[in-house]
Amino acid sequence: MATTTYLSNPVVTVNSVDLTDQCSAATLTRTVEALESTAFGGTARVYTGGLENNELTVTLYMSYAASETYATLAALVGTQTNVQVQPTSGNESATNPKFILTGAYLETLPVLNASLGELSTIDITFRGGVYSVDVTPA
Amino acid sequence: MKYVIVSPRVGTPGEIYNPDIVVNLGALISGGFIKPLEEHVEEVAEEPAPAAPKSAKTKSNKASTEE
Repeated sequence: MATTTYLSNPVVTVNSVDLTDQCSAATLTRTVEALESTAFGGTARVYTGGLENNELTVTLYMSYAASETYATLAALVGTQTNVQVQPTSGNESATNPKFILTGAYLETLPVLNASLGELSTIDITFRGGVYSVDVTPA
Repeated sequence: MKYVIVSPRVGTPGEIYNPDIVVNLGALISGGFIKPLEEHVEEVAEEPAPAAPKSAKTKSNKASTEE
C-alpha cells in the first residue's frame, strides 16, 4: 500500500537555534561517494563506498530582527556547525527520527534576496558533516 | 565558562545554557542568543531594587490616620 508523508511541522535547528518558524523547506541528502573499483576481467562497472558527502538545504524567510534568521547565520559563514532536522516536533523515535549533521559547513549566505511585493527568502546549504540519526527519546 | 540563555530559540531565557551537542558558541553570543554568566550576574546586580508599591504606602497612611 502506498503511503505518503505530509511534512507540515518539521523541526529545523541550526547551531542549536530553533529556526522552525522561519523555515518552509528542508532537504537532507545523505551521500556516500561511489568509487569505481572495476577491474580487468569484469563485465560491468562496480563501485565501492567512499567518503560521505552529505548536504542539507533549507529555505528560510529572511529576517534581520533580533534572534532571527540573519542573527543566527551571519557568524556561521565559513565555519562548521551542527544542524538537525526532524519530521515532526514530537520526541525522537523510530517513526520520528532526528537527522543530524555534525560539523556541516556553511559556505555561502545570501544576505539580501528581495523582490518587490514578496517576502524575502533565502536558500542555504550546509555541506559535509558526519551524518547520524537519533531515535532515542530525550 | 558558563552561559545564560537569552533567546527562547535556544531554550528557556535565564537558564544556564547546556547544549547536548557541540555548538559554535561565538556565533550564538554574537547573535545575541546566549551571554556569559558573569555578564548576566552583573546586569542583574545593577538593576535597581523595585520601589515599594504605592498601594502599600497608601494603606499604611490610611492605617495611621485611622489610629
